Amino acid sequence: MKTVRDTGLLFHRYIVQMLRNPVWLVVGFSTPILYLVLFTPLLKSLPGVRGFPTGGVLQIFLPGILALLAFASGSSAGFGTIFELQSGLIERLRVTPASRFAILFGPLLSGLVTMTVFDAVVVAVGVGFGFHVHWAGLAVLTVLLWLLATLMGAFSTATALVTKEISAFAAVINGINLPILLLAGVLLPISLGPLWLRVLAHLNPLYYLVVAARSLAVGHIATAVVWQAFAVLVPLCVLVLAWATRVFRRAVA
Amino acid sequence: MDAIITTHELKKSFRSPRGSVDAVRGVSFDVARGEIFGFLGPNGAGKTTTLRMLTTLLPIDGGTAVVAGCDVAHRPKAVRARIGYVSQLGGADAMATGAENLVLQGRLYGGDLATVKARAEALMEILDLAEFAHRKVKTYSGGQRRRLDVALGIIHEPEVLFLDEPSTGLDPQNRANLWDHVRALRDRGTTIFLTTHYLEEADALCDRLVIMDHGEIVVEGTPRDLKRQVAGESVVLSLRDADGAGERASALLGAQPYVRELSDEGDQVRLYVEDGGEALPQILRLLDAEHIGVRSMHLSEPTLDDVFLRQTGRSLRDAGSGTGDEGRAA
Repeated sequence: MKTVRDTGLLFHRYIVQMLRNPVWLVVGFSTPILYLVLFTPLLKSLPGVRGFPTGGVLQIFLPGILALLAFASGSSAGFGTIFELQSGLIERLRVTPASRFAILFGPLLSGLVTMTVFDAVVVAVGVGFGFHVHWAGLAVLTVLLWLLATLMGAFSTATALVTKEISAFAAVINGINLPILLLAGVLLPISLGPLWLRVLAHLNPLYYLVVAARSLAVGHIATAVVWQAFAVLVPLCVLVLAWATRVFRRAVA
Repeated sequence: MDAIITTHELKKSFRSPRGSVDAVRGVSFDVARGEIFGFLGPNGAGKTTTLRMLTTLLPIDGGTAVVAGCDVAHRPKAVRARIGYVSQLGGADAMATGAENLVLQGRLYGGDLATVKARAEALMEILDLAEFAHRKVKTYSGGQRRRLDVALGIIHEPEVLFLDEPSTGLDPQNRANLWDHVRALRDRGTTIFLTTHYLEEADALCDRLVIMDHGEIVVEGTPRDLKRQVAGESVVLSLRDADGAGERASALLGAQPYVRELSDEGDQVRLYVEDGGEALPQILRLLDAEHIGVRSMHLSEPTLDDVFLRQTGRSLRDAGSGTGDEGRAA
């Protein structure tokens, strides 16, 4: 109960702060839109190529963009944490009796809300380009995207608390981001690649989400790939949240 | 004594690439309810580390600490509910208003909205922040920001308020103003624990203090008693640059019966004498006879710096500058 209340209080603080900084919102909106407008035209000739899944180009590409958005919004959470660490805010919160989980999850929750709004805009723009919406699939996909963003957000926040300063944090996060994104087939399906790449991708949690997202985008919900994505993301999310809460509980200089 | 903080052999060490550094080496002291208690010492003496252990921010390596009736190591949550803490950084949200900061803080301590709002309003009145209550903190001056930090630390009416180097970065006027507010808080019943490396602050503000150096308590007492231990008054002689003037003057003056203690600090010689007024003319005559030129001469009551000097052989003003924490602890 106390955890829920504290999470609510901190969520409110972060969402108000985000709305007061519109520049940030504009940048956040423009990235996925730019992908849609400037990258989709390149894919026109791909259907029919061996390995390319069936369905329209946007049914393949747009779920990838949503996954990318969730991944990026989560993994950038730590930049704010570094700033708050250096401004003394984290310490100010840690010395109050506020729930440690709430100190972690309050800002992540506000990130989820903004991400969901971005997602809605991306889907709306996608519809303009010919994306066909399957509502039930989209709803399940939204849950998967929340899981991914929470997982990455908790990981990023805890990494920020451990590294404590911006250059070390950026090195770790950027070093991890690129291989994970490339090995997930976010922009182009991994199924286009050679066998070794396809095998390697199975070690990447994001890969499962991207494959499930493409299945859900064409309205296929009760499929193996969807269950696999939940089976990978749910335990991983719980594990990383527990670790990040522990980092908050322990000493942070 | 009705002690609100009791520590026994408190210890903390940090691992560094060159091995373990003992930041706090067995510190024991009591703080009485309702007093302003100070930790004075150079940077790296272990003041902040001790304070961070008492406020549950750092795990304790050895020894025990009881704050407001709760053991810090075993009941950190209970301790957090009973204390307030203002770090060197403050930690106010720059993009939010002062009032918003206070309301969030009060609610995180469990207060309901109406109570917290009323309390925030009253506090901003007391701390001369009422007219800035609904401005963003980023527009605050240094002094206003510091007062808001203090308000954040006492929004939940804690039994003890911890202040880490409260007046760092403040100009003398704002510093004096902050001191007045801290005294007023004590007069309303809050116990204050503060760390400082400013002698003047410790002297003017603290009811009782300990002087810390290299992770250990060097001496403990009221500012007045501590200064009284350094008998008499101090005379600081600044000499003209002649060959070995300092050494010659030290040898000469050290042999005089009215000089109790003497320290040669290069071009300065510091002496402690029973009666300054009587000693000054004698010192001048003596140096004149030996043709040792005096640039200036300065007579003062003993300060806490004299106490520190006597206990550690160094001046507090010199001890803090230059090297970092590890250098000091070595």
